[in-house]
Amino acid sequence: MDKIVAQYSRSAHQNEFYSEQEQQDLTESLPPLSLKFALPPVDNSSAFLRAMTDDHANPSCPIKLAHGTTTLAFRFQGGIIVCTDSRATAGNWIASQTVKKVIPVSRLSRGEDKATNDPTPGLLGTMAGGAADCQYWLRYLSQQCTLHEIRHKRRITVAAASKILANLTYAYKGYGLSMGTMLAGVTPQEGPALYYIDSDGTRLPGNLFCVGSGQTFAYGVLDANYRYDLSEQEALDLGRRAILAAMHRDAYSGGFINCYHVKEEGWVHHGFDDMNPIFWKTKLDRGEFSNVTSEL
Amino acid sequence: MGSPFDINGGACVAMVGKDCVAIACDLRLGMQALTISNNFPKIFNYAPSTYLGLTGLATDVNTVSDLFRYKVNMYRLREERHIAPQTLANLVSSSLYEKRFGPFFVSPVLAGINQTTGKPFICGFDSIGCIDFAKDFIVSGTASDQLFGTCEGLWEPDLGPEDLFETISQALLSAVDRDALSGWGAQVYIIEKDKVTQRLLKGRQD
Amino acid sequence: MASLMDHQARGETIGYSFSEHTAAGVKQHGFYPYTDNGGSTLGITGSDFAILAGDTRSTSGYNINSRMVPKVFKIGGDDETGEGANILLSVVGFAADGNALKERLDAVVKMYKYQHGKPMSVSACAQRLSTILYQKRFFPYYVHAILAGLDEEGKGALYSYDPVGSYEREQCRAAGAAASLIMPFLDNQVNFKNQYIPGSGEGHALEAKKPEPLPQETVKALVRDAFTSAVERHIEVGDNLQMMIITKDGIQEVYHPLKKD
Repeated sequence: MDKIVAQYSRSAHQNEFYSEQEQQDLTESLPPLSLKFALPPVDNSSAFLRAMTDDHANPSCPIKLAHGTTTLAFRFQGGIIVCTDSRATAGNWIASQTVKKVIPVSRLSRGEDKATNDPTPGLLGTMAGGAADCQYWLRYLSQQCTLHEIRHKRRITVAAASKILANLTYAYKGYGLSMGTMLAGVTPQEGPALYYIDSDGTRLPGNLFCVGSGQTFAYGVLDANYRYDLSEQEALDLGRRAILAAMHRDAYSGGFINCYHVKEEGWVHHGFDDMNPIFWKTKLDRGEFSNVTSEL
Repeated sequence: MGSPFDINGGACVAMVGKDCVAIACDLRLGMQALTISNNFPKIFNYAPSTYLGLTGLATDVNTVSDLFRYKVNMYRLREERHIAPQTLANLVSSSLYEKRFGPFFVSPVLAGINQTTGKPFICGFDSIGCIDFAKDFIVSGTASDQLFGTCEGLWEPDLGPEDLFETISQALLSAVDRDALSGWGAQVYIIEKDKVTQRLLKGRQD
Repeated sequence: MASLMDHQARGETIGYSFSEHTAAGVKQHGFYPYTDNGGSTLGITGSDFAILAGDTRSTSGYNINSRMVPKVFKIGGDDETGEGANILLSVVGFAADGNALKERLDAVVKMYKYQHGKPMSVSACAQRLSTILYQKRFFPYYVHAILAGLDEEGKGALYSYDPVGSYEREQCRAAGAAASLIMPFLDNQVNFKNQYIPGSGEGHALEAKKPEPLPQETVKALVRDAFTSAVERHIEVGDNLQMMIITKDGIQEVYHPLKKD
């Protein structure tokens, strides 16, 4: 009984003011992308988080996070092609059809999309799983890569950058992060390099990856037509076609096809195009997707 | 495994206009995330101006549609006349309630014009047969929330057949584009007293 | 009763009623710190303005707590009326978390202004809000936030967030209980989704209608339509519609009555 009384009798005001840390966060001119996170006051915080946010285990969970994706990236003689869809779903609800799932990992000031077609230096990361996890940690990675560049007067290698991310996800293993990301970049040391990193702490180098709920559909198209000596145009078309197939068959993928080409000088954006006109063009002009009727 | 109503996906909507009614459905049949078919109409015809839309579990959609085909045929043989929408509504209701403790996982939508009075009639049901009479529109399926929003925003009273077609099409297409489990094309029926127009809509294929 | 006041009795560990440390394998009491307070918010941008709107009902379960709890706030104002603010924030979900988030962002934006001698840009504020939300990744703010303002070119800017801080700039966004009702309507009426130009072709040759920035009066009418529709079909939305319009001349706030049933 005393114990219960003791628990309820703590001063109601002890958390009234901002903590020292919070005050510092507020007054410091540059708020850090920090590694300090608020934890719920329970024994098993990841179980709590899962109960609140995991709609797979608990369909009526209160906090629905954005999920569902098809992303792909592959190496070829001209560099790396990165293609994604743009749909975000929360359960069956399509939360957004315009998500940018390719995130530039480069000096932040250069990370904005530019009107010009010049390559932008830096790496590219893709987003699958929790949108916020990917956005935040790839931004954190940008910060680390920029610091690396300043310290060493040299751009970071994709191997090193992917290791930073993999170490991070490994450190947070079991906390309930959800991300499946690919890092793509071309450096003088490595040539075109592609890594897959996920929230389990996996880090794999490779030629070709598809990630997300529509990955199997994309692999099907990609494996059938992939060659290392693809021309740039062929490679871009193949990437788009694989995403299109996945968007068509996977309910949780769709929206716009986002396409990037990574070269040694940096990455070039090759359009963010609505899939619907592309789909009908592919169907009517090339006779593919014969499962869909075109009689109106 | 989610709710049986959400496994295969699908959406259906019915609307009242001036001396006409419209009923429309999407064409998707899926198994959770995977789309199996793009040609699975969910609207069935039971009399010259009486249509029933069925959303929910696909196997029950087939079973229930066949069951009513049988029952309506028996009605026609006995009575030597077509079934009226109101009569079909009560038949649907009582047939569904027969399975009160092991229901079919379907949410039917009925639309038609009563040939005697010439009045439009629509109604919806829950899976155990509670009838929801409405003067404006009825929605059902995995995109029902979205359909409520679009229909409430776009529908107005006394629309003519052409305007009603445009309204129901826009309402359905916009709604299913915000639902992962329905879409992939759509079918619309515009029912007037002595004419029924069927149209296929080109929808997003993602 | 004395023991209630006795701070010594607290012991070393600060105990929440729900964090009683039990032996392994013993089931822990449910910890459910969130309430869904319902309501809905909506933001639309134009070429030189942004509108954020929300209803003012606050519910828990089938009860109505209050009919006048605004969900749209001015951020970084000079006084409590929000005078001089250039950013709007709407929060919907759990009102307590929403309020905490608003206070937090307001403090950050103010500190920025004092330290830099200029107001925070909307894009900077948008990124900062994302980090604030992500700091609570493992104990999230149960809110869907929308941030609005004018960007560097004077165009309307709208950013929408999920509870843990993933964000995106958009033309229009509905959040909260009736988001699933309002959003498809907005797709159709703001971004002209599924609309084609009549007579532009036959069958597959029909051209899709291109979205363009809408004039302010049209957008206001759309917002009112969206909410009157949502009120009809959602029990957690109603009472009053609060609308904030941000232009280069400042922020204008208007209220419209909605159905109270």
